[in-house]
Amino acid sequence: MKREIVRLENISVTYTVRHANSRSLKDLAIKSITTKKSDVQIKALNNLSLTLSSGEVVVVVGSNGAGKSTLLKVLARVLPPSTGRVIVDGTISPMIQLGAGFNYELTGRENIALYGVLLGYSRSEIESAMSEIVDWSELSDFIHLPLRTYSSGMIARLAFAIATHRPSDLILIDELLSVGDQGFQEKSQERINQLMASGACIVLVTHDPTAARHHGTRGIWINGGNLVLDSDIHTVLEKYSHA
Amino acid sequence: MRRDYYDSAAKPRVFDDIFTALWEYRDLLVLLVKRDLTARYRRSFLGLLWSLLNPILTSFVLWLVFVHIFRAKLEENTQFAPYLLSGVLVISFFVLGFNQAADSIANGAGIIQKIYVPPQVFAFSSAIVSAINFIFGLIPLVAVSLLTGQALALTLPLCIVFIFFMSCFIVGLGLVTAILYIRFDDSRYIISVILSLLSYLTPVFYPIGILSDRVRYLVMFNPLTSYLDIFRSLFLGIGHPGYLQWLYMAGTSIIFLLLGIRTFSKAWARTVVMM
Repeated sequence: MKREIVRLENISVTYTVRHANSRSLKDLAIKSITTKKSDVQIKALNNLSLTLSSGEVVVVVGSNGAGKSTLLKVLARVLPPSTGRVIVDGTISPMIQLGAGFNYELTGRENIALYGVLLGYSRSEIESAMSEIVDWSELSDFIHLPLRTYSSGMIARLAFAIATHRPSDLILIDELLSVGDQGFQEKSQERINQLMASGACIVLVTHDPTAARHHGTRGIWINGGNLVLDSDIHTVLEKYSHA
Repeated sequence: MRRDYYDSAAKPRVFDDIFTALWEYRDLLVLLVKRDLTARYRRSFLGLLWSLLNPILTSFVLWLVFVHIFRAKLEENTQFAPYLLSGVLVISFFVLGFNQAADSIANGAGIIQKIYVPPQVFAFSSAIVSAINFIFGLIPLVAVSLLTGQALALTLPLCIVFIFFMSCFIVGLGLVTAILYIRFDDSRYIISVILSLLSYLTPVFYPIGILSDRVRYLVMFNPLTSYLDIFRSLFLGIGHPGYLQWLYMAGTSIIFLLLGIRTFSKAWARTVVMM
């Protein structure tokens, strides 16, 4: 059964980009006397309204700077909209940058606990998921070593293993990632396929049309912060490729 | 408030929300405290030793400089060395904790911009870490007291009350300053001047009795003086802080905590886009 997970009502996000020298109290004092305005307002999203439901794999396309990452951040709750309303009814897996919060002095095991709790596990939940995560990442020989001894591929594998261990209601993915060497890539691809079929609502930002066509059910094209087209994946990819 | 339901238009109930959030994110709080302690103490044996040694060495230098000037001016039953070390410990509890709490939000940007976490959790964990460090620092204080014949007070367990109020004070001031640090790059310099001014206006190495009336009022106006006087009296039985000083400590602690939480919640949405 389809359930509404996300509702965006007239969302706008405005970044204030300060004049290079104006991030100081000194300039604030000067400005308050001279009333010179030097801040630049950038609208990253402009009056966007959308609803997303469970079971949908929504591919977001658009050129660089179109507002795709800003949209993901709004959905991930890390960026409050300047105006408008966001409602997310369910748990969120932000796979925006895998391994955010990893600490290089802590061991692999300790990092699993920290990252897991950041992603919404309780400490007892992550402890009981621990052995499965370690086994799946194939890092059991290194799990008691500090993360600084890991290669970048191993770190990516660990982060991927934690982030994809349990499906959430809303999964946010910035560029599909297959991690590790060839054998591991197949395994992680399979994980991704499982996630896609898990019935979660998935928002996927990607520049890879093959992956978009393969996984996507719905396409959203944004440009300059505005919604250009919201339709089924094939129509959106077709129109976008001719733009 | 359910953790798995987000409505950006929900009317925030500032104090309710932050204490609910702290409870919901208690596991994260524990792990952040563990992370900071591990990062500090695991790398080397010196990590732990250094945090014990640093206040002793600082105190030793101050002792060499001031022992002949101030020893005679202290009250009866007061040894200069524990007087000094207790002052250094309290001031570094405040200064290190405050600096960490103020930087914690900017330092947590890597997490805060990727995964939703109430950012205030980072300030709370910094205060807890500095409180734990302070408790470690009490070991050398006990040793120095025993060596110099300074009796420990029976009220020693009540120091936990002092630690609680100091931690709240640190969180409150740290939250306001965290916003300032992100918004204004040069606020850092002003804050560091204010910090050193506050430290000198606290009777860390001088007895308050040597001050002229006007300076004494200034020193008593500094909340940290009340914190330090109360700690010294609870731990070492030195001095007799009155109920006004207790009120001043509890009052500044709770008021600044609530003020910090409120200011932070109001300013955060406009600050996060500047990180």
